[in-house]
Amino acid sequence: MTATTALRRRRGPFASPWWALLFIGPTALGLLVFYLWPTVRTFILSFTQSGPFGGSAFAGLENYARLAEDPALGRALINTAIYMLIALVGIPLAVAIAALLNTTGLKGRSVYRMLYFLPVVTMPAAIALVWKMLYNGDYGILNQALHVVGIQGGSWLTNPATALYAVALVGIWAGLGTNIVIFLAGLQGIPDTLMEAASLDGAGPIRTFFSITVPLLSPSIFFVSVINVIGSLQVFDLVYLMIGRTNPALPDTRTIVYLFYQAGFIDNDRGYAAAIAFLLLIIILGLTIVQFRLQKKWVHYE
Amino acid sequence: MNEVKRRQPWLVHGLLVLGAVVMVFPFVWQLLTAFKTFTGSVQVPPQLLPSPWEFGNFAKVFDSMPFVLMFVNSVVLTLGRTLGQVVLCTMAGYGFARIPFRGRNALFVLFLSVLMVPSQLYLLPQYEIIQSLGWLNSLQGLILPGLFSAFGTFLMRQFFLSMPAELEEAARIDGANVWQIFWRIMLPLAKPGIIALTVFTVLWSWNDLLWPLVVTTDPSKMPLSVGLSQLVGLHGTDYPVLMAGALLAALPMLLTFLFLQKQFIQGIAFSGSKG
Amino acid sequence: MPRHHNRSRLAALVAAAALAVTGLAACSSDGGGGGDVTLQYGIWDQVQKPAMQKIADAFEKENPGISVKIQVTPFSQYWTKLQTAVTGGSAPDVFWMNGPNSKLYASNGVLAPLDGVDTAKYSEGLTDIYTYEGKLYGAPKDFDTIGVWYDKTLFDAAGVAYPQPGWTWDDYLATAKALTNPTAGVWGSAAALNDQQNYYNTIPQAGGYVIDDDGTKTGYGEPEALEGIRFWVDQITAGVSPTQQQMTDTPPEDAFLSGKVAMYWSGSWSANKFGQDATIKDHVGVAALPTGPKGNQSVVHGLANVANAKSPHLDAAKKFAVFASGKQAAEIQATSGAVIPAYEGTQQAWIDSYPSFDLSVFTDALDTAVPYPASTNTAAWVTIQDQTLSQVWALSITPEEGLATLAEKMQASLDKEKK
Repeated sequence: MTATTALRRRRGPFASPWWALLFIGPTALGLLVFYLWPTVRTFILSFTQSGPFGGSAFAGLENYARLAEDPALGRALINTAIYMLIALVGIPLAVAIAALLNTTGLKGRSVYRMLYFLPVVTMPAAIALVWKMLYNGDYGILNQALHVVGIQGGSWLTNPATALYAVALVGIWAGLGTNIVIFLAGLQGIPDTLMEAASLDGAGPIRTFFSITVPLLSPSIFFVSVINVIGSLQVFDLVYLMIGRTNPALPDTRTIVYLFYQAGFIDNDRGYAAAIAFLLLIIILGLTIVQFRLQKKWVHYE
Repeated sequence: MNEVKRRQPWLVHGLLVLGAVVMVFPFVWQLLTAFKTFTGSVQVPPQLLPSPWEFGNFAKVFDSMPFVLMFVNSVVLTLGRTLGQVVLCTMAGYGFARIPFRGRNALFVLFLSVLMVPSQLYLLPQYEIIQSLGWLNSLQGLILPGLFSAFGTFLMRQFFLSMPAELEEAARIDGANVWQIFWRIMLPLAKPGIIALTVFTVLWSWNDLLWPLVVTTDPSKMPLSVGLSQLVGLHGTDYPVLMAGALLAALPMLLTFLFLQKQFIQGIAFSGSKG
Repeated sequence: MPRHHNRSRLAALVAAAALAVTGLAACSSDGGGGGDVTLQYGIWDQVQKPAMQKIADAFEKENPGISVKIQVTPFSQYWTKLQTAVTGGSAPDVFWMNGPNSKLYASNGVLAPLDGVDTAKYSEGLTDIYTYEGKLYGAPKDFDTIGVWYDKTLFDAAGVAYPQPGWTWDDYLATAKALTNPTAGVWGSAAALNDQQNYYNTIPQAGGYVIDDDGTKTGYGEPEALEGIRFWVDQITAGVSPTQQQMTDTPPEDAFLSGKVAMYWSGSWSANKFGQDATIKDHVGVAALPTGPKGNQSVVHGLANVANAKSPHLDAAKKFAVFASGKQAAEIQATSGAVIPAYEGTQQAWIDSYPSFDLSVFTDALDTAVPYPASTNTAAWVTIQDQTLSQVWALSITPEEGLATLAEKMQASLDKEKK
């Protein structure tokens, strides 16, 4: 009982496991059955040599040993890390755009919102096709534009030095719409009175943005950055659509999930795929915990 | 002061328009391609405007699949998942934000770990569970695993955390219990967050391909995403028809977003507790 | 008060949803009346569905009490879904199988051996693909071979004669050179990095092999395979074909259809696509493959109908699998024009389906055709093949280096299968 009383004194009136059970219980149960239990099964699978139709034989740490020696894995880790770092640029970009969209008295705000949302409803196949056309070494618009200023552009998606960056740019582009939606929702929670008070005090728009908007928006920014890191470390569809199996730049753009997909669904090596997935889980978990620890330093909760 | 206010919008407009062009062009290309002939769509250098214009692609979409039936399936699937997630995730999010209990942080990290694994991993285990329930090829089998979301829980948790705790304190002093505080005070305030969650869940459910593909075998139970995927052939795809189909499928999404946008604006008016 | 209104509305919605879910659960069971059998038939081509439906109808007429329901899954997800369903125990009773996967499924006991197939009516190359340890697991349904599709307009503009039967590799290269026009952005040939359409044909034509008949030894270490690969790489270095980078950016088929490539190697399946498009069919023709040092073999591949060994209606399933590859079914397929049926003597209708093309080129190729290379786990070494050869095609490594690496890694993969 003393524990609960102490909790109540520190955390408020609701410290009680029963309320927690009511509110969180159903979701927890569902996630346990449909997601967490499969994850555990996968973990077990990573210690076996598994065939495509279910048969498996215990193999100890064999898969992990193979993982440590796999040259493709090292490169894929680097590729994934680079992709993730570049994708982070999308966050401040989305904050800036959301702030612009939130400008008081902006005409045509709903039209703009619609337009910025369109990539989210555009078919991924269409997105990949259009960007591939843009990046095309011979006929692409990008190279045509560069030609006007006298720069000779190459084939962006087949050059090992540029392919990953080209794909990452599309990743930023594709993620903007959803990030903007979250930030717009977050901005609604910032009282107009605060903004008015700031401008009355003589603060310009940039100053207000950094001193008021960003700190108050920080819970949403935190959310977006955690989700972004998790998502970009798992990027697969975009790379798969834009970089084909016979693209010479494939080894320099393959991400970890690409290797996972290849092992699990093409090479039919389920145990190895499970080991890759587990490695990825550990990496992402580690990074997420770091982000959560750091949040005390910059995230302002009321 | 007035001059500062009048100057700003133009710069803002300029930047936004520039950005909008970049955001919009693949959609525009998709729209234009829906009116091209097959040969026109594969031309290099790429054709921007269709020449000749082909208006029959939309009709071909209806010929290739039971569009209306699949549309209805998509609607039911999306509504089911969205309703379920809004209820479950707001509750769970509030629980993590405002109800302290032992091991709360560890449980939350456990929730998040669900997001850290490639989603293809869940395919086979979920299939086996649904199969053992006898719910293969059924609407409930389609909807069920998607009702539970760590992403949604996380989203709502952040929204609830960003709200002032004083309100709840005041209500507790007035004698309200946790549920009453949640239902009467916090939920209405979280409207923007709920709308964001709705937008994401609707989008994701509507476009979800892999799970519906694996779980349904009867075309009459398949949602639109599966029907569209059948337009992708082994030796090449009829892109104009595929783009036309994708456009038709995206229309409800656009309309939903348009409708929800209005809710956004109303949300500002209602959040009277600010300031 | 708005809040009360919201609460009761929400409660009503939740109740309705719950009711709907339970209601649906109650009526989800299939009407499985006594004696009636329903077979699930899994295919991956929406275009062929009408023909498959006719075949199913014909079967149902002959076999009252058995009905057939067709499921279409797009090819890119077909195997994922099939594997999941097989592992879960609810795969279709009859389904399409292809060469690369046939031994994988047969060796794992997923398929039932088929009796009642008249093997004399199908080409040996095809039945070999579906034979495992002496038993036939698939009834060949259709086949495809490779030909050289060429752009008549480009030939006319350059004043070059159309390809003649019996033309050689040297003739091919000379023709490609004559048609290449850098200022107009036109190439004579597309040396695409495509196994079935390109080098799986030139390797046997040089006297080599990709994998031996047992499916246990790689042929990439042999000098003949090198010759077969060089045929293509030399075209890129000579400038008569776009580079690998260019062909990755722009699919060779798109370039061919845009009049940028004069000769494009592709299969009989292109007849349907090219023939149905008014702008294409008049200026495109097809010729037999050029003859290399040891002939002008094409690689042959074909699908088969297979029966699920765990089907609750195994006898009916086997019967349908055999029927769907039989004479009547073959004739239905031939008239639809989408594929060349495998059953002997039914191909003429397909040849006549697009008279402006000389489609007999493909059926003639069957006589000398080489079976599609496959082993028990084909996919594993195909990945290695793609990635190694893409470096060769990109001219980052020499063909000698590339094939040496490929032979070593592919053999290692094949050796793993034996365990």
